[in-house]
Amino acid sequence: MDAREIYGLLVQKFPEGILEFKENLLDPAIEVKPQALIDVAFFLKAEQGLEFDYLRCLSGVDLKDQLEVVYQLHSIAKGHDLVIKVKAAAGDPVIPSVSGIWKTANWHEREAFDLLGINFQGHDDLRRILLPEDWIGHPLKKDYVPQPEYHGITPDRPDGLDAIPIGEGGEQPRPPIQYLPAMHGPKDEPEGKLFHLNMGPHHPSTHGVLNFMLNTDGEVLSRVVPEVGYLHRGMEKLAENLQYSGNMPYTDRIDYLGSMFCNHGWAMAIERLLNIEVPKRAEYCRVIVDELNRIASHLIATGSMAMDVGAFTPFTHWLRERETINDIMEMICGARLTYNYMRIGGVSRDISPAVVEKTLAWLDHFDIIMEEFDRLISENQIFIKRLAEIAVISAEDAIDYGLSGPNLRASGVDFDIRRDEPYSVYPELDFDVITGKAWKGSLGDCYDRYYCRMDEMRQSVRILRQALKAMPEGDIRAKVPKTIKPDPNEVYSRVESARGELGYYVVSDGSPKPYRAKYRTGSFTSMSIIEHLSPGLMVADLVALIASFDVVAPEVDR
Amino acid sequence: MSEDGDKKISSSPKYIIPPNIIPGAAVATTTDHFINWFRYSSIWYMLFATACCGIELMQTGGPRTDLDRFGSVFRTSPRQSDLLLVAGTITYKMADRVRLLYAQMPLPKYVIAMGSCATCGGLFTQSYSVVNGVDKIIPVDMYLPGCPPRPEALNHAIIKLQEWMRREHWADKIRKA
Repeated sequence: MDAREIYGLLVQKFPEGILEFKENLLDPAIEVKPQALIDVAFFLKAEQGLEFDYLRCLSGVDLKDQLEVVYQLHSIAKGHDLVIKVKAAAGDPVIPSVSGIWKTANWHEREAFDLLGINFQGHDDLRRILLPEDWIGHPLKKDYVPQPEYHGITPDRPDGLDAIPIGEGGEQPRPPIQYLPAMHGPKDEPEGKLFHLNMGPHHPSTHGVLNFMLNTDGEVLSRVVPEVGYLHRGMEKLAENLQYSGNMPYTDRIDYLGSMFCNHGWAMAIERLLNIEVPKRAEYCRVIVDELNRIASHLIATGSMAMDVGAFTPFTHWLRERETINDIMEMICGARLTYNYMRIGGVSRDISPAVVEKTLAWLDHFDIIMEEFDRLISENQIFIKRLAEIAVISAEDAIDYGLSGPNLRASGVDFDIRRDEPYSVYPELDFDVITGKAWKGSLGDCYDRYYCRMDEMRQSVRILRQALKAMPEGDIRAKVPKTIKPDPNEVYSRVESARGELGYYVVSDGSPKPYRAKYRTGSFTSMSIIEHLSPGLMVADLVALIASFDVVAPEVDR
Repeated sequence: MSEDGDKKISSSPKYIIPPNIIPGAAVATTTDHFINWFRYSSIWYMLFATACCGIELMQTGGPRTDLDRFGSVFRTSPRQSDLLLVAGTITYKMADRVRLLYAQMPLPKYVIAMGSCATCGGLFTQSYSVVNGVDKIIPVDMYLPGCPPRPEALNHAIIKLQEWMRREHWADKIRKA
């Protein structure tokens, strides 16, 4: 069903609550009155034929005199999309919370509260999520003034290199060590019975700087509250002060294990805004580097999963394979990790025959290694016992909490953006979408999430073989104006990254810089389910659960 | 040892292993060289990977570059580490934790600021929530530029640190801190 038909339905049902249909936007949006939002949202989710069960993204936008919240909805069953908008006055922005309808909204609303100060009425845990609790102000507001100092740290750098003392350590004045007060544990638990424990922010199993506040009764967890934001670098605010093409290197750092996807998503968003057709060869180049990157990312994911549950050797095997991918990437774009390869309208360099040859040779080698890895770890009894039947996620929960990518598919939901909302040249390539099959335990357990990634690597190898063969000759970049100035519009573009749906919501106001850029990342959205899953797990199972989600800290915090 | 002790110790090792080791033979060396030999041959670094540089840190510990060759293995606890490798961006929210981790390390301790973010804020200098260089919160011994630095660069930094440690007067290093 397209947006106009849904608008007709909604006007019929809620004549008072619907304000406007914005048809001239690239993704047509329906504006709803804040008072009617809950009813409309409930109707959209429950009504036969609509069934919007998946909230992709929730973004706040500061329109100076008003604050706007944009909901990107999707229906997994029906395969259609819808954009809902709600506006509130800037002075006292109050918008009803939809976290009771889509669980995904819980963390996204907290983020909008943190960065924009929007007060979501009815939200049961509206705290800051990315910034520390004693932070002043809401950074994504247009009139935000940064603090001159925070806990004695100032942002200025001394002028010139000479001013930085370089020596054999210990000569600089040492700041006083401040011991932190005990972290606040999850509240509403009876005192004395449970043990409060902080896992992180520096912990080898949390994959970067994530903090988990645990309430444990012996080894058994009664509650886990993830605390994120230790790597919040303010990328969305930085994007607002950069030209469209200048933001490309920053997107690399959103997800350092999958920089190509981040490049790809950003390029796609701006190309849609500008209505640019990308040359065929460039699209093939993009798919090739995407799939290489997917293998590299899944190598780290599966390898570190093995490491987290106690097997160090598989990880070093995968690091060895990853070095070859790094070499290939270096041949393609000159970088090992943060590629900055794609350009708006194409890619920066062509893929040479030498690269094709090297990649094909490596793929043949990789097939053998995959078998070896299966023998080494996938069939290992200890490994299976640590993962099978642990933290089972049902398909309904997975959709409700907005999981995406391999985490969603492991629960049996057959949804892959590469196939269901095709972009680039994926429709021309033949590949299977891997869903969980309860390989060793029940559907949607940690082992399924592990093995989905293993099988996806095999599919990536398939895609790579086809793409390398089918790559046509031609240009690698479309003609793009030197200064990119899209017309005022807004766009939501998504790609299937190794960690699920990576979405860019970009608002353009006609100037050379984006007015607002929101990054919807798979890790941030999937982290919120951990609190729901954790009661009854053992502490060691939590490590397996975090590893099976394959979260990357900067993708959570941006 | 006198104040100009550092000058007297040359960088070449003074312990000599005789070609045919005779059982019961003695080896003559200075205490500094003897202690430094252990120290620089087993720099245990703390796995403090906050962002992108952490992946290159892992690759450096991986099979190709293999930091283990230099006796450097990763530790996950600050109590067992000699070297804090700050691999990645430090934000204001994280700053207090970095101080705490540094304070928990035993003496003598060293810090390498790996990558542009830890050195000076790097790409994120203009951000409202990023500490512009980890030297604003803890003392730094070595700055390693790059975004992220290659494993070879990190390897070079470790070798360089070994050279420094070889020349140090160990007792001073403890007292100074």
